[in-house]
Amino acid sequence: MTSLVLGAILAAGAVLLTAMPFIQHADNLNAPLDGPTPEQERRIAVIEERDRALSALKELEFDHRTGKIDDTDYRTLVGPLRRTAADALRIIDEGAAKE
Amino acid sequence: MADLGRAALIVSFGLALWALVAGIAGAKANRRLLVDSARNALIACFVSTFVASAILASALVRHDFTFTYVASHTSHDLPTLYSLSAFWGGQEGSLLLWLLILSAYAAVTVTLNKRLLRDLIAWTVPVFAGIATFFSFILVAVSSPFVTQSRAVDGAGLTPSLQNPYMVAHPPMLYLGYVGLTVPFAFAAGALLSRQADERWLIATRRWTLLAWMFLGFGQLLGSHWAYVEVGWGGYYAWDPVENAALMPWLVATAFLHSVMIQERKGMLKIWNVVLVSLAFELSVFGTFLTRSGVINSIHSFAKSSIGPWFLVFVCITTIFSTTLILTRMPLLRARTKLESALSREATFLYNNLLLVALSLTILWGVLFPVLTQIFIGESKTIGRPYYDFFLRAFGLPLLLLMGIGPLIAWRRASVRSLLTTLRWPMSVAIIAGIGLVIAGAGSSYPGLIAYTFCAFVLTTIVVEVVRGTRATGSLTELVGRNRRRYGGYVVHFAIVMLAIGIAGSSAYGTTKEQFLNPGQTMTVAGYHVTYKKLEVEKGATSSETRAVLTFTGKATGTLKSGTNAYFADGSSSREVGIHTNWLRAEDLYVIFDQKQGGGVYFKVLVKPLVNLIWIAGIIFVIGSLVALWPDAREQKKLVARLALARA
Amino acid sequence: MAVARSKRNPARLVVALAIAMLLAVFLLYTAVVGNSTPVLQPSNLAGHAGTVSLTGEVIGPVTGDSHTTGLDFGLKDISGTSPVIPIDFHGSVPDLFKVGRHVNLTGQMKNGTFVATDMTTKCPSKYTSTNGS
Repeated sequence: MTSLVLGAILAAGAVLLTAMPFIQHADNLNAPLDGPTPEQERRIAVIEERDRALSALKELEFDHRTGKIDDTDYRTLVGPLRRTAADALRIIDEGAAKE
Repeated sequence: MADLGRAALIVSFGLALWALVAGIAGAKANRRLLVDSARNALIACFVSTFVASAILASALVRHDFTFTYVASHTSHDLPTLYSLSAFWGGQEGSLLLWLLILSAYAAVTVTLNKRLLRDLIAWTVPVFAGIATFFSFILVAVSSPFVTQSRAVDGAGLTPSLQNPYMVAHPPMLYLGYVGLTVPFAFAAGALLSRQADERWLIATRRWTLLAWMFLGFGQLLGSHWAYVEVGWGGYYAWDPVENAALMPWLVATAFLHSVMIQERKGMLKIWNVVLVSLAFELSVFGTFLTRSGVINSIHSFAKSSIGPWFLVFVCITTIFSTTLILTRMPLLRARTKLESALSREATFLYNNLLLVALSLTILWGVLFPVLTQIFIGESKTIGRPYYDFFLRAFGLPLLLLMGIGPLIAWRRASVRSLLTTLRWPMSVAIIAGIGLVIAGAGSSYPGLIAYTFCAFVLTTIVVEVVRGTRATGSLTELVGRNRRRYGGYVVHFAIVMLAIGIAGSSAYGTTKEQFLNPGQTMTVAGYHVTYKKLEVEKGATSSETRAVLTFTGKATGTLKSGTNAYFADGSSSREVGIHTNWLRAEDLYVIFDQKQGGGVYFKVLVKPLVNLIWIAGIIFVIGSLVALWPDAREQKKLVARLALARA
Repeated sequence: MAVARSKRNPARLVVALAIAMLLAVFLLYTAVVGNSTPVLQPSNLAGHAGTVSLTGEVIGPVTGDSHTTGLDFGLKDISGTSPVIPIDFHGSVPDLFKVGRHVNLTGQMKNGTFVATDMTTKCPSKYTSTNGS
């Protein structure tokens, strides 16, 4: 008997939890998934680009300081990386300035 | 109570099915409420599975023999710990454990990421749900732990050799690993299904993959240690299909952990990564299938069971699903940058990947060979140990070497000049070590010598990295704290080197000797003089224990006992080996009581140099993994800030 | 993974060569050494002359001594009926050996008796389904 009652409670709880979103937002049943808009997506992509460039720079500095990369190689590699980071930062600033 | 357990599993099945259907519908039609409902159902599935598990666990501890499962795997006098471990001692319980861990991982990862990766999670939920639906279906309809019977007088008990702490921990640890590999797979599938080509799924699942890999690796070492001390043939790995079933996904997961670093930094190898993560997942489910279906003739092989065909179908469906998904989303997976040089860190990681996957596939071929030959030539043939040993060396030794080169070689393009300069210390130490080893007699085994020399090379690389890094940063703790992944990785590499030294030492430089001894007689093995003193027979509660008492002198002095146990319940016997660990040399004196004959005994004595490094490596491996995956508060803040900036 | 198109960039070629080398090692080994042993049961043992792997169920009586004259017992198919093959075993008797246990033997047929030098016992079935072991 207890098994039956407990089982019923479990099933009821499961149904309740599953139906919760519909109960809570009964007024807005067709709400779309609010993922990022294309505009926001672009921004996230640029920010990720900036972060990647910055961490690559950080790693390059570290490898240079620990002697893994010699001066010649360092000079060749650091330029393009700094440019990429700067470009990304510029795009982010422009986007923020537009607001 | 069994009724409640059954009901709970039916509820789990229903919830998983709803999560699958509603999840797909919501993701496709872009309906948030359906997606949220599916996610809630997945979480509720964990709750009901937990209830079912608690019921089984309680029945086991209480020795409730109305549960057929409890009667088959425990007995009145079985201690609580082992009664509890019987949860995963049988097929039904193991499947329930799988579902429990799966739903737990799913609930947690989906909840943690629900804000950061909303559109991706919408598709990840149905992928998790699909897998959960399969397992809960099997538990409800094919192999239920809640079958009842009229109360038995006593249960069948747990096999004595399984009543061992290592065997208590080994299966759950392996499952945390196997099932954990579902997380990156589900997120990868979610990313592809939601048409996202970037690295977000990688970053979100990075720590979970590392955690699963850690459990899977450590779980295997626990099993090996149990085999060494309990099964007692003197070895720790037999290339048995069930052992290989865990090794294969672990090797692929290792490859994956390395190649994700390339994708994160360079946006390369996107296709390769989704293939790897799918392969790791398929191999882990396939491994479960191998263990259960009786299809492969193995020491662990269990009689052909009912779930074999179901698992095969499931593996086929998931393989077709992943393959189709990857093929249709190929255009999305264009690389951002290109491989510029065959001599670069990217290339080194790629070679590492190729070797790991090659080794895994080689093992797979060996495992499947009996089945394939049966199908194609009508007669089953097995491949023996030498095949596996050969390829472990052929692919493993270059991998060892790469472990030393990888950390020191530059990204994008390394000139031979700069590479030789950075490698000058490791190379010099390796050459000196090699010469020293030959003088010390290690030349008796070429693979052993090469392995040791490569290990010296890698160890020097790690030391060089740590020293240079500490000099540049100022303090070791700050160095490791700021570069957790890298230095955690170096600790893991150190563990692998320990493992390699331990394996090479105990196999290539070990000694075995068999001799018949009467009381008072001595045998000499590799510097140990072992004397058989007397025989002791003791009647325990469940078995009669026969022990030969032996003393030894020479490289070390002491006493040990080795013998057999004869069990009253079923008349079987098990060997209880005597092991003396010589910590100074990290070597073991291993004595097997082979057979009593008249007044004397046939003994088999092994000396296994450096074998204990293998077990120590296990501990270091866990430490390194934990350092690498330890959460970084700064990183989390960055991720949140990034999202806020985008939404501003 | 795309590769730089520069004519002087050998990266793609090197990777392809690496894969080819791995494949070559594998094929060479299996072709030259390729040691595989047939896996048989007592019912299909007939006609196999060389070293084979034989799996079956131990039938009593068990006599003799594996270290001197040889441990003698019978072996039959695990499921179904089959002829009982006489076994003569020399070597270490593994844990859990007893009448009724499933074992795996390595050896060859000699004058009507299967002479074996290696034996492993199967772990007692942990995973048989509750309905029908």
